[in-house]
Amino acid sequence: MIEIDDLHKRYGDKIALDGVSFSVKPGEMFGFVGANGAGKTTTMRILMGVLFADSGQVRRDGRALAFEDRRRFGYMPEERGLYQKMKVAEQVHYFGQLNGLSPKGAAKATGDLLERLALTERAGDEVGALSLGNQQRVQLAVALVHDPEVLVLDEPFSGLDPIAVDALAEVLAERRAAGVPVLFSSHQLDLVERLCDSVGIISAGRMVASDTVEALRAREGRRLLKVVVRGATPDWTTGLSGNITKNGDEVLFADANGSDQEILRAATAAGTVEHFGWERPTLTEIFREAVA
Amino acid sequence: MNGLWLVARREITTRGRTKGFVVGLVLSAVLVGALAVLPRLFSGPDSFTVGVVGSPALQSALAEAGAGRQGEDGTEVTVEPFTDEAAARKAVLDGDVDAAVVGDRRTLADGEVDRELGALLESAHQAAQTQKQLSEAGLDPAKVSAAMRVAPLEQVSVGADTRYEDVRTGIAFLLVMVLFFLLLQPSMYVAMGVVEEKGSRIVEILLTSIRPWQLLGGKILGLGVLALANLVVIIVAGLGAAVATGFSADLPPGMAGIVLSALFWFLLGYAFFATMAAALSSLVSRQEEVSSVISPLTLLIMATYFVSYFAAVEPGSGVARILSLIPPFSTMVMPVRTAGGGVPFWEIGLAAALMAVATAAMLALGARVYERAVLRTGARVKLSEVVR
Ligand SMILES: Nc1ncnc2c1ncn2[C@@H]1O[C@H](COP(=O)(O)OP(=O)(O)OP(=O)(O)O)[C@@H](O)[C@H]1O
Ligand SMILES: [Mg+2]
Repeated sequence: MIEIDDLHKRYGDKIALDGVSFSVKPGEMFGFVGANGAGKTTTMRILMGVLFADSGQVRRDGRALAFEDRRRFGYMPEERGLYQKMKVAEQVHYFGQLNGLSPKGAAKATGDLLERLALTERAGDEVGALSLGNQQRVQLAVALVHDPEVLVLDEPFSGLDPIAVDALAEVLAERRAAGVPVLFSSHQLDLVERLCDSVGIISAGRMVASDTVEALRAREGRRLLKVVVRGATPDWTTGLSGNITKNGDEVLFADANGSDQEILRAATAAGTVEHFGWERPTLTEIFREAVA
Repeated sequence: MNGLWLVARREITTRGRTKGFVVGLVLSAVLVGALAVLPRLFSGPDSFTVGVVGSPALQSALAEAGAGRQGEDGTEVTVEPFTDEAAARKAVLDGDVDAAVVGDRRTLADGEVDRELGALLESAHQAAQTQKQLSEAGLDPAKVSAAMRVAPLEQVSVGADTRYEDVRTGIAFLLVMVLFFLLLQPSMYVAMGVVEEKGSRIVEILLTSIRPWQLLGGKILGLGVLALANLVVIIVAGLGAAVATGFSADLPPGMAGIVLSALFWFLLGYAFFATMAAALSSLVSRQEEVSSVISPLTLLIMATYFVSYFAAVEPGSGVARILSLIPPFSTMVMPVRTAGGGVPFWEIGLAAALMAVATAAMLALGARVYERAVLRTGARVKLSEVVR
């Protein structure tokens, strides 16, 4: 288990992190979301030891992280970094060896990964000659080549085409199934919702939510009642309380917790009730709410 | 340790394959090879063919004179007899012989006689005529020739041994050029490599896999191996050219010491300057900023170059002696003085000890600066912020 405990970091007067805490369990995929400048990258860099926190600690299974632990992590930094003049396969192989693989083991891992990421044909090309998305795939291969015990990926999906997104999602799901804690940041909330077990939302250097996706969606206070009535006059909702959004026959009631039965009676009176039920908020809605 | 070797190997294979390195290697070798044989091309020939008409006495005297001078500077004289003046004249004009002596009276040459050959002919002529005239005066020819056999004066210098002064100066100048090139170029490579990794943030991935000292050390080691290979190629090219052209006979004694001294001082100097280059360049994130941030280094190498240039001209002067002790000037001035010859051992030892201390200090300080600055991207990092 990776634990991030009360991280504080300031740049001059600017407070970047103000007590960030969350944890990622083995076999858990954790989506780290937050607005631009919220502190995701700062947190991940501290986790990887390339930046030092002013206070707070990062632990693995109760022990403070050391260099030797991090060596077995797979890391993809926000600003992509590769040797532009080095060939794709050579580069992945090099990083595999730097992380302790034997030359043979690194060669095998490189071949397999390039195959999975559909880069085999570009193996002999210089990285600089690749398109941005393909460079991104090489970056992923570099992060994954040594079969890491923990994955820390800063916006791994940005810039990938849908096929590559699926390929990466598949690779990450495999790692998760193997018991690896996977932490990644993203602005693609639908993707996070689809892939992740847990989500952490950070806003202005503070964690505003950190829970399983299920628990977040089931939270009280931000529930929508969706009602579809056929053959009703548009004004059937007049007099009902709550925050109402209309879209043809479909009506959404926010803040309708106490008045649901009253709404049902009005709907039955107005026409044929085709749908009546609680809508679970999407992650995007939860996010908007949380960072508002 | 493994990380260090991996980094070094990557530097060697990627930098060693670049056009810049290969061109530098070939050009420097060709240049030094050419400079090593150049003086040879301008100095006169060292073997002569002389035609002689008649006068067997002169013929034997010439052969003896040539042989007598062999040991000194390798002048070789081949005597070719001719039956008459016309044949000798033709041979001179055709260039078959360098000069011809006719009947103990005249020397024929195409234009002027080579000065060295002229002196040689004159002394042989003197010897032959003296012997002949003494014999004619009734003296026993055997006694005469015994009396004529005079041991040449032995040259003893009571000051410094200046016999090889010109060659030594030449070697010193070559060393100044070569060391300057081989200290500056790889240091620039180190600086560019550091900024490449810092600017592109590769360093973030690298430093989660290996320690800063492995990354820094591997880079300095790898590029140092390339520079050392370059130095060895230059030395081999220079000495090879000297041997191929017969110039090696003119090389001063103790060449092995001069070569070893150059290698030794190069290694110390490279470690010093390359570390300094890495530390300074780790302060910036963009290639455009490299040249300005490493300007203290470039200035220091330039200063070392100028003082060693001076030392090449005046290797025995007091200023050169003092400079050859002061790090990092000693890295170039001391090998240059060594090429000049006559440096006491205690001075070499003292200079080496001082420079070793300076290099160790630079390594400690440089590694500290590098480690602290290389992950701080963005604006240029102030040296004062990371030294403390
Ligand atoms: N080197 C730095 N110097 C000064 N301030 C910094 C530095 N790095 C980050 N910050 C500040 O710290 C805060 C958090 O930045 P961070 O990069 O962690 O955000 P983020 O959540 O990753 O944003 P994004 O989604 O845009 O990647 C921002 O306000 C940023 O301006
Ligand atoms: Mg970020």
